[in-house]
Amino acid sequence: MAKQLITLIVNGDSYEVAAAPHQTLLEVMRDILNMTGTKRGCTAGSCGVCTVNGEQGEAILSCLALAVEWDGRPVTTIEGVEEGDKLHPVQQAFLEYGAVQCGFCTPGLVMSAKALLDVNTDPTEADINEAMAGAICRCTGHIKVKKAIREAAKALREREVNDGAS
Amino acid sequence: MARVKEDTAVVGKNWARLDGADKVSGRSIFADDVRLTGMLYGKVVRSPHVHARILSIDTSAAEALAGVKAVITPEDAKDIWLGINQPLLPTESVMHVGHEVAAVAAISEEIAARAAALIKVEYEPLTELLDVEKAMEDDALQLHEKAKGNIAWKQEEEHGDPDAVFAACDVIREDTYITNPSHNCFAEYHVCVADFSSPAKLKMWTPTQTAMLFQQSLAAGFKLPVSDVRLLTLNTGGGFTGRTSTRPHHFLAALLSRKAGRPVRLRSAGDEEFIMSRAGGRVTYKLRSGATKDGKLKVIEADLLFDTGAYIESQMIVTTLTSKYIHALYPIEASRYRGRLIHTNNLPYYFHHGGGIAQFQFALGQHMDALARDLGMDPVEFNLQNAVEEGYTTMDGAFYASCGLKECIEKTAALAGWKDKYGKLPKFKGIGIGIGAMASGAKGLFRHDTSAAFVKVTEDGKASLFVGIPDMGQSSHTTMAIICAEVLGISPEDINVVSGDTDSDPLDVGAFIQRGTFNTGNATKNAAMDARDQLTKKAAELLEVEEAVLVFRDRRVYPEGQEDKAIPFKKVVYETLHSQEGRFVMGRGFYSSPLEKGTMAYSFGAQIAEVTVDPGTGVVTVDKMTASHDVGRAINPRIVEGQMDGQIFSGMSQVLYEEILMEDGQVMNPSRLDYKMPRAFEMPEVEHIIVESIDPNGPFGAKEVGEGPIVCTMQAIANAVTNAIGTQVKEMPLSPWRVIKAIKD
Repeated sequence: MAKQLITLIVNGDSYEVAAAPHQTLLEVMRDILNMTGTKRGCTAGSCGVCTVNGEQGEAILSCLALAVEWDGRPVTTIEGVEEGDKLHPVQQAFLEYGAVQCGFCTPGLVMSAKALLDVNTDPTEADINEAMAGAICRCTGHIKVKKAIREAAKALREREVNDGAS
Repeated sequence: MARVKEDTAVVGKNWARLDGADKVSGRSIFADDVRLTGMLYGKVVRSPHVHARILSIDTSAAEALAGVKAVITPEDAKDIWLGINQPLLPTESVMHVGHEVAAVAAISEEIAARAAALIKVEYEPLTELLDVEKAMEDDALQLHEKAKGNIAWKQEEEHGDPDAVFAACDVIREDTYITNPSHNCFAEYHVCVADFSSPAKLKMWTPTQTAMLFQQSLAAGFKLPVSDVRLLTLNTGGGFTGRTSTRPHHFLAALLSRKAGRPVRLRSAGDEEFIMSRAGGRVTYKLRSGATKDGKLKVIEADLLFDTGAYIESQMIVTTLTSKYIHALYPIEASRYRGRLIHTNNLPYYFHHGGGIAQFQFALGQHMDALARDLGMDPVEFNLQNAVEEGYTTMDGAFYASCGLKECIEKTAALAGWKDKYGKLPKFKGIGIGIGAMASGAKGLFRHDTSAAFVKVTEDGKASLFVGIPDMGQSSHTTMAIICAEVLGISPEDINVVSGDTDSDPLDVGAFIQRGTFNTGNATKNAAMDARDQLTKKAAELLEVEEAVLVFRDRRVYPEGQEDKAIPFKKVVYETLHSQEGRFVMGRGFYSSPLEKGTMAYSFGAQIAEVTVDPGTGVVTVDKMTASHDVGRAINPRIVEGQMDGQIFSGMSQVLYEEILMEDGQVMNPSRLDYKMPRAFEMPEVEHIIVESIDPNGPFGAKEVGEGPIVCTMQAIANAVTNAIGTQVKEMPLSPWRVIKAIKD
């Protein structure tokens, strides 16, 4: 099938690429843009390692999203989460509370958690469980991942209070 | 004998993993992320048949496809053998579904897949042998000439006089258990990048638990000197006993690369991951044990039958391991063991997380729980009464220099509120205990069990630590940095861990059989001590004191008791490196157990599971796990907890969820959607208890925590289910239908 010229906006930068209609966002990001932070897992939407955030910050499985659908629509990947030279509170909490082991699923877990906390900084256990339901993590047993998300939520709430005060 | 915990500055505190910042920000590189100039993409042609003769292979259409750079068939793989009886590519018959027949390399994954589909293989189906019992019948088809009766491996062992001891027992019990095929399901699929464009030197990037054994295996396969095979280990996305030896794809990628003269990446896709990988196979455990009426366990007999599938590589290790663990937990007077590995046309199986030991303990732990009930005893009381202690030597010669098993059982039972719950819970609620032991390393399984380390101290007061052990998530690199920092008196954050290149890595057998913290930890400690010794002369000179009184701590050096005189560590290093005679500081250390064979240190643990069983659906919910582990000394407590969490997950997953559903030799659920594992919402609350018995031989007293906890989990959950429904479910996983069946029967 003929390729289409599209503009992907990844982490605020625009890239003009020629993508075949069947090529996924994951393939184009990894194989054309060489952005390998987003990992390739089952490529069938069942493991969650390829999760990125869409326009509204929502969690997107980039292995199931067609690149052409994302023409002109902003996407945030794990490479775009850090705040300047500092880790984002979600990343910081993952690091500090032992939510990282082999690290292969970590980018997807961080992006799933961020999608939740971007819209809800006071999640219930059920909210966290729902947000992480699409993720497989063989190493951590999700225990410290959930702890890190609770701690990140706390840090984000504190930041909201501080931002409000200043 | 209580040993004193050494006063330490960095050991025993919570440290974030040193590679953590890279892992949370997408900077960590895995093999699938490797991009090389001119790199091609491989695809394997696999057998759709269980057992069939190959009549012809026609590669002409594939070779004619634009973009295809290499095609290999069994002709190209002659004389390359994997394990005992397995040619890399079969010249006569395919032996199992998914058997590799040919492979292609092309300029894109898409073209490679199209080319693979164009390879025409003509097969003539042969009689299939899928059942272990049938494979053992006298007139059964012989799958391998050398495996008479399809017995791939057999181990028989007897200690004491089991028949006489049985005769003197008051209570004798027999049970048969089954564990079903499973899959490692690491997050990172099987993948490797091979660069064999110069046929004299092979370079390979691949996830592994042991670069050393991979290097040796590839060198043997391609008849190269070992030093001409260079293994480059990047991050490894999980191991779980599944990356301890090479697989066909490693050799196929190399062959494709040699033929094409360009680097080749080969990665399994979709259902391939489930038919190429070898995790646990189906195993039957026939157990018999006897005790006297005062509750003393006297004798254990075990007869294990493994479906090892079409080929055997190093799976025979499983009988060595399981035969030892009969003796590990209880001082018994006699034992009898038989383990047999049987060939069938099922996938060649290897190990799942727990290495066969945790799965064996699923059986033994349930059997012991039932024996306790037969004796009219509370299982916690039974285990406490019979548990091994420090200073004990098992019947097969394992000496326990440290042992916190009873402390684990007592503390876990107390925290879980066992006494208030056992026998007092409402119907369909249950509580169960599992106990376990695990060796830290095992000399004799290989020629040696050595680890080595180098420490290079740099003039900024920091250090590079060279180790050969891979870090596949267990945080060994950070653990080694903590040990090194403790000795040099600096911070783990000052240590740059250099690892993952066999050209520069010190010798290390690898990260399995739980040898990392103990063996590589001791090697690291020795290397750091050697480096420190190279600094003491100058430090003593600067401080004008004897070398013996120097303390290295908090990035300073001072005479003991005189912190006010401290000088910066960095100054000592600088003055040493820039001394007139021209010095360097490069510590070397190694560790090899003084034993001829066996293990110097064992960890112990106890776990209590609390479950709810839905009598309508048979679904088991794990409500809570209380877990303890005697780690000797926790080098990094939060990582110890993380290891316990992960193993509780994996044990729960194996005992309740995971099963490769086989039908006529085919995998019926080859996807991560259909092969079930718990998700975040299914995980219970976990309480951790770290027991520190301070092993006299471990680095700062430490022992393993990489596989000990999982040994307790499966049996604890199974025993809790028995407690909830009043009968044992003897086949794993305890899927809803098996639980319902057990309730109805």
